[in-house]
Amino acid sequence: MAKKPDLLPGTLDMLILKTLTRAPLHGYGIALSIKRLSDDVLTVEEGSLYPALQRLLLQGWVKAEWKMTDTNRRARFYTLTASGRKQLGLEVSQFEQMIEAIGRVLSDAQEV
Amino acid sequence: MNPFSRFVKRLAILFGRARFRSELDEEMDFHRAEVEKELLQNGMAPETARSAAARRLGNEALLRDQTHSIVGFSFETVLGDLRYAVRQLVHSPAFTIVMLLTLGLSIGANSAIFSVIDGVLLKTLPYPRADRLVRVFLSSASFPKFPLNPFDFRDFRAQNRSFESMAIFTRGDVQLSGTGEPARLNGFGISNGYFHVLGLQPELGREFDQKAEIPGNGLQVILSDRMWRTRFNSDPAIVGRKITLNMQPFTIIGVMPAGTEHPGNEYHAVAYGESVDVWWPFSFAGDPNRRGSHYVEGIARLRDNVTVEQARAELNAIMTQLGREHPNNDVGWTVLVIPLYTEIVGGSRQMLLVLLGAVGMVLLIACANAANLLLARASARQRELAVRLAMGAPRVRVMRQLLTESLLLSFAGGALGLLLALGGVNFLVSLLPADFPRTHDIHVSGPVFAFTFLISIFTGILFGLAPAWQAARTDPKEGLQKGGRTTTGASHQSRLRSALVVSEVCLACVLLIGAGLMLRSLLNQLHLDPGFRQEHVLTASISLPHEQYKTNAVTGRFYQQLTADLSELPGVEGAGAGSDLPWTGWDENAGGFTIEGTKPPPGKEFHARYHMATPGYFKALGVPLIGGRYFNDGDTETSRQIIIVNRAMADRYWPGENVIGKRMSFEDNPKEKDWMTVVGEVGDIKDQPNSPRAEPGFWWLESQASNSDMSVVLRSTSNPELLADALRNEVRRLNPELAVADVQVMDRIVSASVATPRFAFVLVGMFAGLAVLLAAIGTYGVISYSVSMRTVEFGLRMALGAQQRDVLRLVLVQAAKLTLEGTALGVIASLAFARVLKSLIFNVSPTDPATFLAVGLLVIAVALIACYIPARRATQADPMNALRAE
Repeated sequence: MAKKPDLLPGTLDMLILKTLTRAPLHGYGIALSIKRLSDDVLTVEEGSLYPALQRLLLQGWVKAEWKMTDTNRRARFYTLTASGRKQLGLEVSQFEQMIEAIGRVLSDAQEV
Repeated sequence: MNPFSRFVKRLAILFGRARFRSELDEEMDFHRAEVEKELLQNGMAPETARSAAARRLGNEALLRDQTHSIVGFSFETVLGDLRYAVRQLVHSPAFTIVMLLTLGLSIGANSAIFSVIDGVLLKTLPYPRADRLVRVFLSSASFPKFPLNPFDFRDFRAQNRSFESMAIFTRGDVQLSGTGEPARLNGFGISNGYFHVLGLQPELGREFDQKAEIPGNGLQVILSDRMWRTRFNSDPAIVGRKITLNMQPFTIIGVMPAGTEHPGNEYHAVAYGESVDVWWPFSFAGDPNRRGSHYVEGIARLRDNVTVEQARAELNAIMTQLGREHPNNDVGWTVLVIPLYTEIVGGSRQMLLVLLGAVGMVLLIACANAANLLLARASARQRELAVRLAMGAPRVRVMRQLLTESLLLSFAGGALGLLLALGGVNFLVSLLPADFPRTHDIHVSGPVFAFTFLISIFTGILFGLAPAWQAARTDPKEGLQKGGRTTTGASHQSRLRSALVVSEVCLACVLLIGAGLMLRSLLNQLHLDPGFRQEHVLTASISLPHEQYKTNAVTGRFYQQLTADLSELPGVEGAGAGSDLPWTGWDENAGGFTIEGTKPPPGKEFHARYHMATPGYFKALGVPLIGGRYFNDGDTETSRQIIIVNRAMADRYWPGENVIGKRMSFEDNPKEKDWMTVVGEVGDIKDQPNSPRAEPGFWWLESQASNSDMSVVLRSTSNPELLADALRNEVRRLNPELAVADVQVMDRIVSASVATPRFAFVLVGMFAGLAVLLAAIGTYGVISYSVSMRTVEFGLRMALGAQQRDVLRLVLVQAAKLTLEGTALGVIASLAFARVLKSLIFNVSPTDPATFLAVGLLVIAVALIACYIPARRATQADPMNALRAE
């Protein structure tokens, strides 16, 4: 099995927030969603997912509530808050700036 | 979100901890179930799916811990560690008790000694800007530290530019009568500005002004706060009132506030502290060209930016100038300027630092012991640690957990130690010599708490490091496989533990040698021939006020009558009076006398201690007569002048001659009536029991020289204390206004004179005892551990035919090796410390071979006894068991 690339450091919070923009999800749902949307390239380790969710809760960027799933099981669903949405915007723009900068450096290197 | 609401959230989680956990668990369960479902859908077998899901979720405990650490407070993990540590310690009570006793005793001893050091050496003196205060003395070849002459002082005060202010003071007790029981009060004559120098102000009234320095300007007195409260009911209108001192009316012009401490004095010393009752104005007049008498002590406050050295140089320059102006008196002196702090505590500093060093060694031994115990426990806990590491606990957490345990132990030990110190400090203070400075400043106070806290942390980390470091090296796989029976680090660990034992034995040896030297020094002092017989002797002092006893004849008659009356009392074997008592520091110097037929070497003069005595004095004190006779009742004020000399004086000034009948005089060109004839020679008494030799001294017949302040000596046939009331009655019968002061038995004076060596010995001895006990426990622990590790080996040896004797020898040789190494190192270290001890011991070489040998043997014996028990156990090793175990 080929080794999957690790998440870029610092991007986990952003990815979680992004998956929550469409609908509230539970932890497993978030992991699944990141995996699917990235075509199986990105895998979220459970060992970092739940600590990250607690961090986001503590910052007030997400809310959590217990709800029933489609299969009638109790699960904790995370919802994006207004400040979470703002934070997401901030992180996305910072990330894009960074990617752009990296891209510029790389394209310059190709021309040489 | 702002930090405050984050904090509130954390608080909510802290208090709803159980709910937080259960929710997290449920979330994980849900997650695992979903993963399992996903795997099943992918066609995995149910069993495999279940374990694969669990594997994917990883170490749940760790995950929970990590998640919690995000939202939890950092102290929560510390609390968790603490809870765990308490459980661990409660589960092994024997270990915990031994640890707590070891640490409590050693930390307590350190805190107690530190209390003394804090009170005596570290607290600032109770005067404003006390570091600017200095004492001023003169020094010459024969008198290294001598009081000033008042006229010299006046010139110093007028000419110097180094001091903000300067003053003199001199001891002069006064008798209070007219209000209640007559009492002798500790009094000092002080010049104008004395309190100003100290930076103190009267609470009521004022200080003496400069006019009071001129004789005849009225009789004035300043009271101490204690005097004012106890004798005068804190009368707020007391200033201006008259009281009777020395049978004369004195006007109270001021009252000093509580906390006015006497800065200590050299000459007729009164201890530093609130020890003075009254101050009277020191006045002087006469011919300023006669500057031969020295009896006032200088104190001064340095100006800012002037150093002690500069002040000393300036005063010496002035002294040189004075020497030119007064070549008869002021030549040959240098001026000493000594910081007040040094003057007060300088003498006790060395001993306190030695004690601190000694007690610090006890702490190190305790640390080594604690580390040893912890190491032994760590090997027993190897399995537990291996399990925790295997379960994914980070090494740092395991180390932290172990350090938490040792810190918990050391803090509990520290708390116990503080309790011991609270009691121990009173014990220490009660042991301290009476003249020890600042004893009333010794308390278990804030700095002592801080000190105890710090050394608790220090010890906890020091003895906790070794096992924690060991734990960090634990390999979980091996730890689990071997089940903690033998360990990977075993050989390394046993080396470490042996090194700890060697250092314990070494330190214990150093302490024991120190204690041994101090014991020999103390015994030397106790077994010295004092030159008198101390048993059954009661002493007291009486001072006759000049107002009532104006002439020599009257004074002489009083003491004659008193000693005669006292001799008649039942139970009295002899009674006498003298100007001073042995070893009380009350001696005077007389110089410049003439000895018939000889001349002093050029540039020098004859000098000797001079005293006065009544006929019964020597017999009552038990001073042996060497030649001639004692004074007797036939000697009167009008018969020819006679003296008695001591052996040192006879040997110094009439070597090899019969001293009886020889003559000396205080006149430069004596006429026949000026000669004093030696009628007796008595044995020597040194100034102090540990003085290197007796100084020349002679006694005038009291009725011929007349001294108003005398010490009465009564020799009793039984307990001398029973005579105290009879003595007071006899004095009262002769004069009801006289105070009888300093009533004490000679035994107590003698025991006070060895209080310092006794204090040093008792403390160092206790520390050494504790050290030896700890070292023995440490040695026992290591040997016993090594025996338990080698049980199988011993069993095999015995199966192969070794005798019990051989096994015993094997173990004892191992123990002896450790002990000998430790003892050898201890002896070497003691030789290095010899210099430090030299000033504290008397008549013993700091490298005394007998002490070193005795201590070496004792340490080896104790260590071998400590090892004998485990060694015996080794011989009980059953060969069959051993074989089966392998």
